[in-house]
Amino acid sequence: MASPPMTGRRPRTRSGWAGRTRRIRQGVFLALLAVAVVGPWIVPYDPLRPDPFAPLAPPSAEHWFGTNHLGMDVFSRVIAAARVDFSLALLGVLIGGGLGSVMGAWAAYRRGWADVVLLRVVEVLQSFPVLLFGIMLFAVLGGGYVVLIAAIASVNFPLYLRQVRSVLIPLTDVGYVQAAKCGGLGGWGVVWHHFLPNARGQILALFALTCAYAIQIIAGLSFIGLGVEPPNPEWGSMINAGASLILQGAWWPSLFPGLAIVLSVYSLTGFSRDAVRPLGPAGGTL
Amino acid sequence: MPTAEESPRWAGARSWGWFLLRRLGLLLLVLCAVCVLTFTVTRFTGTPLYASIGQQATEEMIEARAEVLGLNEPVWVQFRTYFFNLVRGDLGTSRRTFVPVAEEIGDRLPATGELVILATFFIVLWTVPLGVRAGLKGGGAAARIGEGISQFGVSVPAFWLGLLLIFLLVFLWPIFPPPLGRLSGADPPAAVTGLYTLDALLAGDPGLSLRALWHLTLPAVTLAVTSGPPVFRVTRSAVAEVASSPYVEAARSYGLPRRLIMRRDIARNAFPPVLNLVAMTFGYLIGGAVLVEVVFSWPGIGHYAVRAMDFSDYDAVLGVVLVSAAIYVFLYFIVDLAQYALDPRLRD
Repeated sequence: MASPPMTGRRPRTRSGWAGRTRRIRQGVFLALLAVAVVGPWIVPYDPLRPDPFAPLAPPSAEHWFGTNHLGMDVFSRVIAAARVDFSLALLGVLIGGGLGSVMGAWAAYRRGWADVVLLRVVEVLQSFPVLLFGIMLFAVLGGGYVVLIAAIASVNFPLYLRQVRSVLIPLTDVGYVQAAKCGGLGGWGVVWHHFLPNARGQILALFALTCAYAIQIIAGLSFIGLGVEPPNPEWGSMINAGASLILQGAWWPSLFPGLAIVLSVYSLTGFSRDAVRPLGPAGGTL
Repeated sequence: MPTAEESPRWAGARSWGWFLLRRLGLLLLVLCAVCVLTFTVTRFTGTPLYASIGQQATEEMIEARAEVLGLNEPVWVQFRTYFFNLVRGDLGTSRRTFVPVAEEIGDRLPATGELVILATFFIVLWTVPLGVRAGLKGGGAAARIGEGISQFGVSVPAFWLGLLLIFLLVFLWPIFPPPLGRLSGADPPAAVTGLYTLDALLAGDPGLSLRALWHLTLPAVTLAVTSGPPVFRVTRSAVAEVASSPYVEAARSYGLPRRLIMRRDIARNAFPPVLNLVAMTFGYLIGGAVLVEVVFSWPGIGHYAVRAMDFSDYDAVLGVVLVSAAIYVFLYFIVDLAQYALDPRLRD
């Protein structure tokens, strides 16, 4: 993934410090991304192989993050899960964000009733709490990765649509757009060549944030048993598997996957200047 | 609030009526659309025929059942019955317990309500003082602490933070009760409002009230940390914007006391967006506290929906979805009205 362009650094107090932490965060993210790519080849143990003789072994030199209740190596599983979480988040955001951006640009171009109807549809979508909406999708469509991606996409669709639309509304009848129309370019041509490129910066800024948010949603849905099925390594379902062991003092099966989520989300939001989550009107939680 | 010295009062009243009417129309429209969506969902979840009859059903039994459930009617008739059932408050019957879903949700809503009220209180408690400080000074300790909590709250998944707090403050250092619901075993107070802290006080049992509060604290803190960041940021930027505005500068140059400027100019003008977001956060959390409820075995509607999902009890799931969406939309409406009443600039 290319890093979004950070043009025109705004002068700010403590800019040196803020700039440095941002670079560190971006570096951390690239490292995580590398882990996600090569992860399955560098893990010390097979993330799916249970060891019946060492269930719930605490962290040691042998098992850095300990083992879970089935004796699977938590370190290997946390590493292997990075690829699962990242690719699901990426796919969902690309589909939902792509559709949302195009429709947003189209709404800004057309205005009129099409615009109003789209906005209302999006408003209805956003009046559902994110997680309950995901649960509802699972109720309709069964389960599996496709539904998970659909859930992420439908959460992202309204965010991109609203953002892109609001950025492009002022361009509805700018000179070069009118010129393009007079030159005989069709509606979609104008949208594609003259509208969308103007929202590129906004879309990229939103991209990192929504990916971070998507990782949290995926983990949240998997935490309640929807999404990624348990034996497969995924951060949320790993936390769930360890949740009941916390009160027996076994903190490691849940702690490390959670740290991986925190690190990914924190580092991803470092790509955006103002790390405000663009989630619905209320910010939202999982 | 409109004050006495406003002269074009009646003109204001007319536009106020218009505004109310428009918003009300919008509210109903969105609610109807929500119903259409959930209706579509019920048609996709597969008809509950097999689940309600069993595997050894004959053709005739299925046919008879479909007739009873009205599944042979045209879709729009089905929607009409669905819609009017909803309007009457009939959300269907749980497939698992055979109790009306509306009743079950009604029993659990106070648990969620109590949790969300306290969480919202905690949110205001940490975001507003820090946000105001940070906004006035544009830096300093308050800004750094607030930004630190915000970064953490945004990055951390709420359910994991809940588990972490349980490990630290229940297992390692047992100051809070185990995450087993609202009172872990004690008899609940006589139901008046359904909020245990309040009911216990009304029943004259402050000990029980305190106990309920103690059970509420950890989940509420979890929600306050993860849902507070937007409120902190909005408070900070609203206060910063007002504090650097020309009228505040003018007030300062007149040498007015800082207290007065704070109260009369800054607080009043920065208040509406903050109030807006706090209310929206509250509405969101009603259906957004699902995972925290699960972690703390909190018997609220989110926990109920997740349990229902385990049993493919779709009417129950959709009931929760509908109720929380309706509460959210309705709150949005109220906030809009409040905004209009608070901010005279919106009245033109």
